Amino acid sequence: MVQAGSKKSSVSKINSKTGISSLIIFVVLLLAWIAGFSSRLFAVIRFESIIHEFDPWYVSAWGGYVFIINLIPLHVFVLLLMGRFSNRLFTSYTTFYILGLICSMQIPFVGFQPIRTSEHMAASGVFALMFAVGILKYLQGMMSKSEFKSLVIFGGLISAGVVFLTVVALTYAGYVAPWSGRFYSLWDTGYAKIHIPIIASVSEHQPTTWFSFFFDLHVLVATFPAGLWYVIKNINDERVFVVLYALSAVYFAGVMVRLMLTLTPVVCILSGIAFSGLLELFLREDDNVRSEESEEEEHTTPSKRLYDKLPKEAKTKPKGGKSVGNVKTPTSQAFLNWNFFSHLKAGRVPKMKHEQSKESDGIGPNIRSIVTVVILLLLMLFAVHCTWVTSNAYSSPSIVLASYGSDGSRQILDDFREAYFWLSQNTADDARIMSWWDYGYQIAGMANRTTLVDNNTWNNSHIALVGKAMSSNESAAYDIMTALDVDYVLVIFGGVIGYSGDDINKFLWMVRIAEGEHPKDIRVIDFSYRKVIISQNTVNSVWTKKVPPTLLNSLMYKLSYYRFGELKLDYRTPAGFDRTRNTVIGNKDFHLTYLEEAYTTEHWLVRVYRVKKPDEFNRPRIPVANRVVKSPNFISKKVSTQK
Amino acid sequence: MEQFFTLPFAILEVPHMKIKKPSWLRQPSAMTMFSIVLASYFLVTGGIIYDVIVEPPSVGSTTDEHGHSRPVAFMPYRVNGQYIMEGLASSFLFSMGGLGFIVLDHIHTTTTPRLNRLLITAVGFICVLVSFFTTWIFMRMKLPGYLQS
Repeated sequence: MVQAGSKKSSVSKINSKTGISSLIIFVVLLLAWIAGFSSRLFAVIRFESIIHEFDPWYVSAWGGYVFIINLIPLHVFVLLLMGRFSNRLFTSYTTFYILGLICSMQIPFVGFQPIRTSEHMAASGVFALMFAVGILKYLQGMMSKSEFKSLVIFGGLISAGVVFLTVVALTYAGYVAPWSGRFYSLWDTGYAKIHIPIIASVSEHQPTTWFSFFFDLHVLVATFPAGLWYVIKNINDERVFVVLYALSAVYFAGVMVRLMLTLTPVVCILSGIAFSGLLELFLREDDNVRSEESEEEEHTTPSKRLYDKLPKEAKTKPKGGKSVGNVKTPTSQAFLNWNFFSHLKAGRVPKMKHEQSKESDGIGPNIRSIVTVVILLLLMLFAVHCTWVTSNAYSSPSIVLASYGSDGSRQILDDFREAYFWLSQNTADDARIMSWWDYGYQIAGMANRTTLVDNNTWNNSHIALVGKAMSSNESAAYDIMTALDVDYVLVIFGGVIGYSGDDINKFLWMVRIAEGEHPKDIRVIDFSYRKVIISQNTVNSVWTKKVPPTLLNSLMYKLSYYRFGELKLDYRTPAGFDRTRNTVIGNKDFHLTYLEEAYTTEHWLVRVYRVKKPDEFNRPRIPVANRVVKSPNFISKKVSTQK
Repeated sequence: MEQFFTLPFAILEVPHMKIKKPSWLRQPSAMTMFSIVLASYFLVTGGIIYDVIVEPPSVGSTTDEHGHSRPVAFMPYRVNGQYIMEGLASSFLFSMGGLGFIVLDHIHTTTTPRLNRLLITAVGFICVLVSFFTTWIFMRMKLPGYLQS
């Protein structure tokens, strides 16, 4: 644009051409956007998940700003380290910090957190550092070298000490909150498991496996480093930010599955860069080899880069237009303009055809086309993969399960809604239902009944109490349940249909969370066969070996497997065969004393039990020898004392 | 101004010592940075953090119908579970694919003869394709029914 303005001779002509070319660029980008959006919309409508489409945005808007408020100061700090301080950087960062601070403090939930929590201290520290560097740069121009040196040493030591002492004192006095537990869990990966099991228990907080990376990114997992390479190769201020964002996001995505959300934007950016770089290379006509040196310089300025790409398409088009005749006059005219204009920009003389054919760079057109076709094929497979993932993994509502038979027929398992409907129809309006906290909102929303705990994780002790009730034996659980006025207990059991997200698989987390609050009553060690803390993936092996008696007697085990030993699923497997765990259950024959089965859904997915009232439950039969009969002596004594 | 910054040196005596910037401390080159980045990418996509937290065995084992125990490389049907070796193998493939794309770009910079360009293209392509299809096979082992139905 600057170059165009400098050519005074044909300003008006060039302006109109600039207008046309930018209009064309705009239209192309708009078409690309429409294509992308409509394909996404199609996927959404086709697989009926319009509600889930917007879930990520709520999640990322929740606590993600802490990531940004630390990433931008990090970017500025790294730029300072690289010696890239400039007035531009100073202005932009200080403006960002002050405006961002003021605006974020207007949100009620945030309040005074930006100046009071340790998460935000990096931003203010860099803010102060910017001023220090700015002042030093200013003084450097006014002083001699030795004076400046002593000032830097002296001032640097003093200010570092002052800042450090202030932060320590403020933290100690309680004005600045120390780092929160959620933040520690990002750095010290074992922290959450030990100190805050309730955060570690959520499935989206699990560490990421290779599978998730490939499942969510597909071919982009390989183009991401390639794009990073392109960016690092020609680094500038803005690209430092992309690199830092990429590195931190990759690390965080490795720590938690759900932080894959923060990784995906940068993966899209970098893969876009990689593919554009590759396609630019392989779609280029042969004539450009000689001018590669000049292009290397031009890579830094985006406007030139944009323009030197266009002539390659443009060169071929007018020929086609001519051969057809002047059928498409406006477009060919536009291309001609474009062509002419871009040559003006790049300062390149259009080459004759025989010149082009002479200088070939060694890669024949065959290889070029093969490479291009294969890249396009990869992209197409990527689209297929994305559609498949969208339809199979991210489109099903978690409340209705679908399974596919061998002939492709779809079976709907609607057990959750069945159970919630039963609850809303057959229980008293003020009935309280105890379940694990994952189902709290569902019960409250669909069955309209009171729950003890729900998906809000703030009340850690309450959840731990429910976990304790689930993991203790029946009589101890009954005490807790009467203390909490529980009327019904709801458990999810996937052993019949092989649903892996059921309560038995979550049970170890219940034990862990309960142990965090009640270390005397519940111990993880009692529930494990080996003398190590069992993790989720060793559940299977524990199950097949000798099951610990604490587990067999726990409320959750009994409620899940009550009368399951009588059920024979098919001819090949024995009775009481758990399809999720792939074993026969350990204890088939037991009875419930304090609870009774109220309702079990069609596929046994949801089982509801009623807690018996103290006046109605069957007392356990006490052997005759142990019965204590109140002696008449006792009464007479009482009578005698009353006299 | 002069008095301001010479004030502390009225009390303190400047020691006669020279601190040299160590010669190894300099801004690393772009290639070094990228190698570090790629190495960390290799580790993270291989689920090294998962391995540290969960401590899975390196290779699983199963018992077949004759009672022999056989090693299993992949933890099937478990989306959020893995063995150490499968993670490393697949992240090796991811990095190989990434390197393949970078090698493909290298014909841009080299002023090598025709044969070398051909070789570079071939090597890059083999890397990309091998990593892509092997990962595909891994996915099929991990999740039978992948891209079906």
